[in-house]
Amino acid sequence: MKVAIVGGSGYVGGELLRLLLRHPGVEVDQVTSDTLAGKAVGRAHPNLRKWTSLTFAPHSALRAADITFLATPHGGSMERVPGLLGADGTVIDLSADYRLHDPAQYPAYYGRQHPHPELLAEAVYGLPEVHRDAIRSARLIAVPGCIATASILALRPLVAASLIDPAHVVVDAKSGSSASGQDSGPAGLHAERSGVMRAYAPAGHRHTAEIEQETGVRVALSCHAVEAVRGVLATCHAFRTRPVDEKDLWRTYRAAYGSEPFVRIVHETDGIHREPEPKILAGTNYCDLGFAADAHAERIVAIAALDNLMKGAAGNAVQCLNLRAGFPETTGLDFPGLHPI
Amino acid sequence: MTECPECAAIVESHDKVLGEVFPCPDCGTELEVLGTEPFSVQPAPKEAEDWGE
Repeated sequence: MKVAIVGGSGYVGGELLRLLLRHPGVEVDQVTSDTLAGKAVGRAHPNLRKWTSLTFAPHSALRAADITFLATPHGGSMERVPGLLGADGTVIDLSADYRLHDPAQYPAYYGRQHPHPELLAEAVYGLPEVHRDAIRSARLIAVPGCIATASILALRPLVAASLIDPAHVVVDAKSGSSASGQDSGPAGLHAERSGVMRAYAPAGHRHTAEIEQETGVRVALSCHAVEAVRGVLATCHAFRTRPVDEKDLWRTYRAAYGSEPFVRIVHETDGIHREPEPKILAGTNYCDLGFAADAHAERIVAIAALDNLMKGAAGNAVQCLNLRAGFPETTGLDFPGLHPI
Repeated sequence: MTECPECAAIVESHDKVLGEVFPCPDCGTELEVLGTEPFSVQPAPKEAEDWGE
C-alpha cells in the first residue's frame, strides 16, 4: 500500500515518517514540503538519517496514493481534500479542518467559513476508541487534536455512566512546546519558553469545540504551556450526580477501556508514578487515564496523559490507518516508551 | 478468585499460599492472602510514607 504525506517537514510529519518508514504494510511513496522541496528528509528530521533516501517534493508534485496523510497547518487541508477524495483516495487529515461536524463552529473557533461544509458530515472523527467501526470504512478521517483526545478519553466514560453534571465540567490542560509546531513565533524562543508556566488560553481554546462535540457536555477549557517538549496532561474536574467511590470509577473506566490497546488505567496506591504523567509516554501511542473521587467537594477528577505528537497526532493517525487498511490495530505502534527519560 | 478491595479487579488465586503478598494487577496495591479456601485477600500492611504533602 502506497502512502503520501503532505506537509512532512513539521514535527507531526516527522513522527508520521518515523512510524510509517518502519510499518510493515506500507511504502512511503512521497513526502511533500514547499519550504524544503528538494532537500533530504534527514534535513528536517535528523533522527531519520539512513532510514530513507526520500527527498521532499513540492506540494504541486503530489501524486495519487492509496492513503494520503495531510500534516499541514490548520486551514491547509480545506481545499486539498476534495481533490484527493475525487481521485478515489483515502485521506487522513491531521489538521482541524474536518474535525467539526457543524459548519457554524468554524467561524466561531477558526475565524473562517468552511468552503466545503458538505464534507463535514462525511468526515469521521478519528478517535478509534469512539468511532472504530466508522473509521474502518471512512474516506475522510479527521484526526483529533491532542488536548481534545486526552479530554475526550477522560470524560466520555463519566458522561456515559451519567456520573457527572454535564453543565459544569472544567478541563485544565498543560502541554509541551512541540504542540504549537515549528512556527510558534516568539512564544517558542528558548528565552520565552524555558521555565515557562504560562496560561496561554485561559478560555476559548479551539479544542473546546471538539471536546463538546464528542462528549456532549459543556466544557470550560483552560490551557497552559509548561517546560516540556512533548506531552499533554489534562486534568478534568466534574461534579458528581450521585455518591461514587473509587471502586465505582475503576469499574466505569475498566468497562470503557479494559480491552483498548492504547488506553491504560493508571491509578495506583503506592510508588512514584501513581497517576498518569506524560513524561514516560514520549514516543508511545498510549493515553494513560487516572481519576480520583473527591467526596469533600462532591467532585470527580479525571486525569489523562499522552504524547501530543503520538496519541495526540501521528500515532493516532497510524492507528486509524491500521483500522482503515485492515492491519492489526497496533501495527507499528508497539514502542513502550523510555524510563528514565 | 476474589476482588481487589481497592479497585474491584478480579484477582486469581492460582497457587497462592496463606500469607503470600502480591500486587494487584490493576492498581498495584500489595495484597496479602488471608485465606485460600475460600480465597480472600486484604491490603498488606505497609510502612507509612511521607510524600511531603
